Amino acid sequence: MGLLQEIIFGLVTGSYIAIAAIGFTLIYGIVNMINFAYGEYISIGAFIGFLAANTLPGPLPVAVVVAMIGGGIVSIILARGFFTPINHTGPVPMLLTSIGLGIVLRNGLRLVGGRSARYFETETSTFQFDAIPDLPVGPVDLLGDFFVTSEQLVVVGSAVAVFASIHLLLTRTDVGIAMRAMGDDESLARVRGIDTQLIRDSVWVLAGVLAGLAGVLMAVQTNVSADTGFSHILQILSAAILGGAGSPYGAILGAYVIGLVLAVSTAFLPSSMTGLSSAVAFVILIAVLLVKPSGIAGTEVREA
Amino acid sequence: MPSDITERVDRRAFLTLAGSGGIAGLSGCIGFGGDEESGDGGDGSGSDGSDSDGGDSGDDAPDTIVFGQPGALSGSFDFLQPGVSQAADAAVRHINEAGGPLGAELELVRRDTAVDPQEARTVATQLVENDNAAAIVGLFSSEINPLWDYLQDLRTPIVTPWPGSTFLDTRGGDKGTPSDVSDDEWVWRTVVGDTVHTGGSAVYALEEGFETLGIINGNTEGERSYVDGFLSVYEQNGGTVAERVEVELGSSSYQSALSRLFDADFDAFLVSMPQESAITALSDWSDGGYGRQPILSDTLAQQAVIDQVGSDLHGAWVASPGRSGPSYDTFEDIYNEEGDAEINGWTPPSWDSVQVTALAIERAGSTNPEAIQKNLGPVSRGEGTTVSTFAEGKEALANGEEITYRGAATPTDFTEHGNVFGSVTISTAESGGFVETTEVAAEDVREYVAEGEY
Repeated sequence: MGLLQEIIFGLVTGSYIAIAAIGFTLIYGIVNMINFAYGEYISIGAFIGFLAANTLPGPLPVAVVVAMIGGGIVSIILARGFFTPINHTGPVPMLLTSIGLGIVLRNGLRLVGGRSARYFETETSTFQFDAIPDLPVGPVDLLGDFFVTSEQLVVVGSAVAVFASIHLLLTRTDVGIAMRAMGDDESLARVRGIDTQLIRDSVWVLAGVLAGLAGVLMAVQTNVSADTGFSHILQILSAAILGGAGSPYGAILGAYVIGLVLAVSTAFLPSSMTGLSSAVAFVILIAVLLVKPSGIAGTEVREA
Repeated sequence: MPSDITERVDRRAFLTLAGSGGIAGLSGCIGFGGDEESGDGGDGSGSDGSDSDGGDSGDDAPDTIVFGQPGALSGSFDFLQPGVSQAADAAVRHINEAGGPLGAELELVRRDTAVDPQEARTVATQLVENDNAAAIVGLFSSEINPLWDYLQDLRTPIVTPWPGSTFLDTRGGDKGTPSDVSDDEWVWRTVVGDTVHTGGSAVYALEEGFETLGIINGNTEGERSYVDGFLSVYEQNGGTVAERVEVELGSSSYQSALSRLFDADFDAFLVSMPQESAITALSDWSDGGYGRQPILSDTLAQQAVIDQVGSDLHGAWVASPGRSGPSYDTFEDIYNEEGDAEINGWTPPSWDSVQVTALAIERAGSTNPEAIQKNLGPVSRGEGTTVSTFAEGKEALANGEEITYRGAATPTDFTEHGNVFGSVTISTAESGGFVETTEVAAEDVREYVAEGEY
């Protein structure tokens, strides 16, 4: 298969990561903490979605909405219970708290959810596009036959919808503008009359909603288990750093860079090295940070 | 809550914290670490240090003897643990009903390793140092191989039902000299190694006319070992590999790897991955319409795999350790009284590991680890009275007879490297589940394994 097919695979992988990375980076940018428990938020969203899909009437989108709402509620409850009381202690205690909370949540999910993975019952359609010219350049075919599945289209479509919604939120609503103001200078935002605690709460809810959506999408593709989110947390973290921590637009860009590198490196690395595709993604991350420590889009977004 | 005293983190601090947090977070993913069942600590080890390998009745026998069982209570292979746990529990109950080894109460302490080598090291130490385990009846390939030197230093017999790794083909056992422990290695396995059942799978593949193969496998020791075992027989007998792709486990998609694999021309493809990752990969394979004949590794003979992948998988086959041991029926009766966990390929070996270790203690007349090590060979090979359970063995030993344990999974006739031979069962995926379609006899597989190399 050609490069086009690999790019499609990369875009799908990037879309999973991007949705979650936006939530992760919003927390960093506005609440000013690195939330290592975010993988577990994704897992909780997957469990809520699975529960909804098996108990509520209606199609899967109903379960997705329930997972997003549930994710938002769980996120604000956890924030109020564990993070808001220690806001004043600074980022390090909050980081350590998030690590501990993540371990507790993960093992709690194992205890409550059981040891077996669960699966969404979905039907997938495949759309084949044949007789596409290969357009070879050296040993690589740029085009060639390819396929997309309905599941992949849903993932990419969901990601695009999230990007548009986040953009509108941050640029067209008072809450979004207040979020950006807090991200730049929290003290100044407070002086200008912004209710910073309300904005923090809004960010927690928004991050939980995105975690719920990412959780269901990941679970549909893989499974529902205590590790559904945790197994992707390094990719999410990397996307946030690569794009420019705190910047949702940068996180999107970083996610797609990682997704594409994963896909293309698997396709073109020597046979003995195909298991190292993640390592290649991290090499790219290191290289970018060496050249531009603020990440790909860090500065630009702060100025937007 | 005042928030203006919260200082912003600069980028360097963020990266530092992210790195340190990542390490801490990863180290925290290990699982519970606690024991599922806990003995009272017992006093079962090191009672007399006797090296006797005769039928000593054990005058200073302890009240309690502890076996430690590292287990996959969580992690990628936790779906196999219920059957293994139930078999071990059934064996312990049976042994205690028969009077226990040396008249003592046998207890099993089970701790979770999540199939993580570092956690396994901690658990093995806890079992020996804190729980006073006389022997260990668990540990996976992925744990044993990196911890090999440490486990030798532990000098406690490890009789495990789990590992298939080819790494153990020439490591472990008493080297055919039971009374001399100087050349011993302290690992024995009661399950047939990958060399045996992958050999059976390879033989079957060639018989079915699949002469060119594609391979997709996980990047862990267990998955690599399975493939290496398969290939050693497959290529030796004329088969060729067109493409091999190694993948990371737990990915959300394997489409890129499959795309690369199926660009090659081959008759069938071998999948060696843990269940959850394999379901994702095989679902991607089904969605992509790649076709061709799937051959699955032994851990994938699960109904969940068929249910999730769907009808495209019908016709896929799995070669797994057979259930051909002479005392399988005896095991099955006692096992079913213990609970309703599904029997898998590692369930009968779990029964065998507890039985043969208890018999070694009974013959040694001691719970000293060295004495147990010396007696594992003598109770499992040779011309003694054939016994199928601890109860029969205890009685025969009391009568001054030598014994030969014949197990449930295999005859449990330990080779010099502490390995066992057994038949290989070929099961084929159908809508109702995996159906056993044929069996490759142990003798047929044995001819592909060189003498002294297993």
